[in-house]
Amino acid sequence: MKIVIIGNSVACINAIEAIREKDKISQIIAVSDEQSRAYSHPLLPNLVIGDISRSDERFYYRSRNFYEKNKVKTVLGKKVVGISSQNRYIKLENDEKISYDRLIITAGGKPFIPKMDGVELEGVHTLTNIKSADKLKKDLINIKKCVVVGGGLIGSKIAEKLAKHGVKVTLVELMKRVLFPVLDDTGAEYIHKELKSLGVKLILGDSVVKLDGNKRVKKAVLSSGKSIDTDAVIVSVGVKPNLEFINESGIEINRGIIVNDYMQTNIDTIYAAGDVTEAYDIVTSQKRPIPILPLAARQGRIAGLNIEGENVKYGGGFPTNSITIGKISFISMGIVDTDKLEILKIKKDGEYRKFIIDDNKLVGMILVGNIEKAGMFNWMIQNRFDVSWLKDTFLNSDFGWQYFSKAFRILRFDRKIK
Amino acid sequence: MKWMKNLKNYTPPAFKVIRDDDRCIRCKACVEQCSFDATFYDEEEDKIWNWDANCVSCDRCAAICPTEAITVETRGYSYRHNYSWGSHIDSLKKRAIFGGTPVVSMGNDKPYKIYWDHLLLNASQVTNPSIDPLREPMELKTFLGKKPHSLSLKDGKPDTRIYPQLELNVPIMFAAMSYGALSYNVVEALGRAAQHVGTFYNSGEGGLNKDHYKFQGNIIVQVASGRFGVHKPYLDVGSAIEIKIGQGAKPGIGGHLPGEKVTETISETRMMPQGSDAISPAPHHDVYSIEDLRQLIYALKEATEYSKPIIVKIAAVHNVAAIASGITRAGADIICIDGFKGGTGASPQVIRDNVGLPIEMALAVVDTRLRDEGIRQDISIIASGGIRNSMDVVKAIALGADAVYIGTAALLAIGCTMCQQCHTGKCAWGITTQDPHLSKRVNPDIASQRLINLLDVWALEIKETMGAMGINSIESLRGNRLNLRGIDLTEKEMEILGVLPAGE
Amino acid sequence: MKIVKIYEDSCVYCHLCEVACIVEHSQSKDIIKAFKRETKPIARCSAEFNYPLSYSVMCRHCDDAPCIEACQTGAMHRDERGYVVVNEDKCVGCWMCIMACPYGVIKKDERREVWGLSTKCDLCPDRETPACVEACPNNALMFEEV
Repeated sequence: MKIVIIGNSVACINAIEAIREKDKISQIIAVSDEQSRAYSHPLLPNLVIGDISRSDERFYYRSRNFYEKNKVKTVLGKKVVGISSQNRYIKLENDEKISYDRLIITAGGKPFIPKMDGVELEGVHTLTNIKSADKLKKDLINIKKCVVVGGGLIGSKIAEKLAKHGVKVTLVELMKRVLFPVLDDTGAEYIHKELKSLGVKLILGDSVVKLDGNKRVKKAVLSSGKSIDTDAVIVSVGVKPNLEFINESGIEINRGIIVNDYMQTNIDTIYAAGDVTEAYDIVTSQKRPIPILPLAARQGRIAGLNIEGENVKYGGGFPTNSITIGKISFISMGIVDTDKLEILKIKKDGEYRKFIIDDNKLVGMILVGNIEKAGMFNWMIQNRFDVSWLKDTFLNSDFGWQYFSKAFRILRFDRKIK
Repeated sequence: MKWMKNLKNYTPPAFKVIRDDDRCIRCKACVEQCSFDATFYDEEEDKIWNWDANCVSCDRCAAICPTEAITVETRGYSYRHNYSWGSHIDSLKKRAIFGGTPVVSMGNDKPYKIYWDHLLLNASQVTNPSIDPLREPMELKTFLGKKPHSLSLKDGKPDTRIYPQLELNVPIMFAAMSYGALSYNVVEALGRAAQHVGTFYNSGEGGLNKDHYKFQGNIIVQVASGRFGVHKPYLDVGSAIEIKIGQGAKPGIGGHLPGEKVTETISETRMMPQGSDAISPAPHHDVYSIEDLRQLIYALKEATEYSKPIIVKIAAVHNVAAIASGITRAGADIICIDGFKGGTGASPQVIRDNVGLPIEMALAVVDTRLRDEGIRQDISIIASGGIRNSMDVVKAIALGADAVYIGTAALLAIGCTMCQQCHTGKCAWGITTQDPHLSKRVNPDIASQRLINLLDVWALEIKETMGAMGINSIESLRGNRLNLRGIDLTEKEMEILGVLPAGE
Repeated sequence: MKIVKIYEDSCVYCHLCEVACIVEHSQSKDIIKAFKRETKPIARCSAEFNYPLSYSVMCRHCDDAPCIEACQTGAMHRDERGYVVVNEDKCVGCWMCIMACPYGVIKKDERREVWGLSTKCDLCPDRETPACVEACPNNALMFEEV
């Protein structure tokens, strides 16, 4: 069997590992437009600043000999431009065709660039792959002042890193708070405070509409009419599934590639995994793209196993996010901001806990500061655990197994039940 | 320090906790372990403080401290030295301040003469051989109960009526300590050890928790003046039934388990309302004479179809010999005599420290009296109250006992440090408490193993000493006072003990 | 596979498991120095309390460890003994493992200069019996087969 994987990041390597667990013979080919082996996207801000270098093993997901060890042929630096599902081949930008028996699409996301004039100017950056990070890093010596557009995970992180590096950063966020989809107002307050203390200037509820400059960007104009002098602009508004090459292949897409529980597309021989897909979200009970790393890993693994005929179901996922800004770490999961469901929350010294409960099932939570028990809540959301008898204790800072019933706790500790 | 000394009810602390700050790593283990609120941690100062007035010198903190930073010392005497008043100053002040008589626990701790330490054992030299217990059989098996006067044969076969007996692999049993006074785990440990070694533990007067019916065959059940938890299945599960008339630590006094200790399980076991004080009257109100006692003995025998020996337990008091004779004639199979060093979970201090007789004396006079009256075979004698080591056991048996009860010694094996706070229910070693968090401090697995070890070692030591004397069966040691010599004793004392002076 | 079994009915909440863990994972392995002179490591086990209950809990070394699945740098891995351990050189402190651990027993150590460090029970590779088990005065932790 000849298995071709488009994309070479976390979903891809997990798929490779899953396939090789079951099958040492099939041919695997990984095709990617990037030159590097699979690397850690969340560390791109660190790479820009120089916390980490490209020679640091920490930067990569797997060791240098990963492909060799797993007998994977890599086609790097080549962009895929089309798929022919009838004739079972993919077409590269240099018109080369690679045939396949099974195809896994793990093409990931690409930066979403909002409409604004002047994006083509020098000094305008994105930060979703190693190429853009390198470009930004090279440009760093020209940057004294910088505007970061979008206060998502990458935006906040690069703002923090640049500020620590001594750059005067202005963070412009369209919404009323940073990290809009993963925190609520109270939780974001902690991050706002932390960013401000690092010297980041926050402009909320506003957006950049125009970049001015002569060859190099000089000024960012906001929709409120304000303008900010700057040496560079980093656009990190978000990512969208990378679907360019899907167009005429017949693969069904919506916002992402639609997959079933086995990570299979509407075409039997084609699977998809990672940020490019639109998979089931168990807290909102609908299919949507959830571009996060652990789900990409799990989906990749499941796609790999199912290609080998294992019939493993993807039970559905939900967003889980963890980030540290300055001294504040937080973890949030599932639904984080709603006024329709039961909400438990408490704000204490350096700690914020919020839980969202729907019909006695936990569907979302935010922990700021004290995050070490987050996995227990993850488990409760994942298993749709009945929390009616337990939820009163969620707000205790020392929440742990001591609040569970004895029999259940002992069975869990002794690994008798999962 | 959070607290302020309260001079209204102040007596100087008896102990001082000394903490070596170079060694203290602030792990706060001692803070968690102190159940008497004598240790606390001040976060601002990053220091651990002690409130010495609350310290009872249970040594739990010193034992748990991973760096051995803690020493608990007895404080030097606070007042000007006065030979005749001594500790009576504090004792008097406490009565004046609190308006009540102090309740204490464990046994009499006053410096009365300990006769065990004035008795010496014999050994064989030349004229008769000593025996090596590791090479030759040595019998410690003991039967307790009424023995026949003579053997009779019918058609060449034995036709002697054998009365019910308790069979012990070692002549040592665990004394009556009730569930209620002791925590659940301790009772569990006693039961397991008794079962493993082949001896008996005594339920005490608090009834028997349904979980502990599994120790059937190794339980002696007690019927005391409160009659807590006495019912047919309870009597049936016991291998013997003990009627408790008195206790060495508090002769003539009833029992009192404070309502706080009567938890849900205790109330169920004792068959009484939760939270109410459990009061055992001073006398049995149906036993005002030897004749009444006989009725109770036979009522119990009748209830159990004459299948179990009946034990009568009395405190050693001045006319103990005559009482023992009466008990024998009332039909008891076994008598237990509890000396004034015997322990208790709670007793008024005045009674504990001033009433009763040393067990050595009581044992000697009872054995002598029963022999003189020719009724010694009608009854077995259990000595208890202040048996501290295996040699005390040997000496007790040589003085005439059939077996001994150990109570305090068993608790010491489990972890007790004799801080004498049983009555507070806050035992830091988890032994005499019903606090579910504190009682976890006794792990029945560890505790029962320690008890088993203790009995095994004592048994070996007894065998060694018997072997040295040239005796290979505990039967031959019983009442064998020729193997005892008195030292530093008056002639009268030796006469009562029935032993010759050392050298004679 | 042997792991540390938790017998909550015997736990006396003395925290000696945590003390022993700190000492075992310190530089000097000397109790006084570990607490007073060196940067104190984080205890991998934690004694938890809810009267009258108490117990010490640490990594259960799951067969299908969610932390390993979640860790994308490969820092969280299974060692040759079959136990789940962290490779300090690879960990970047993204706390994905904390987010995944259904037992909540992974701690975050934020004292490294650039990277945080996930800290968890490694079942004392240098010892036959883990330090916490040896230190427990009441056999509330036992190194046993599950």
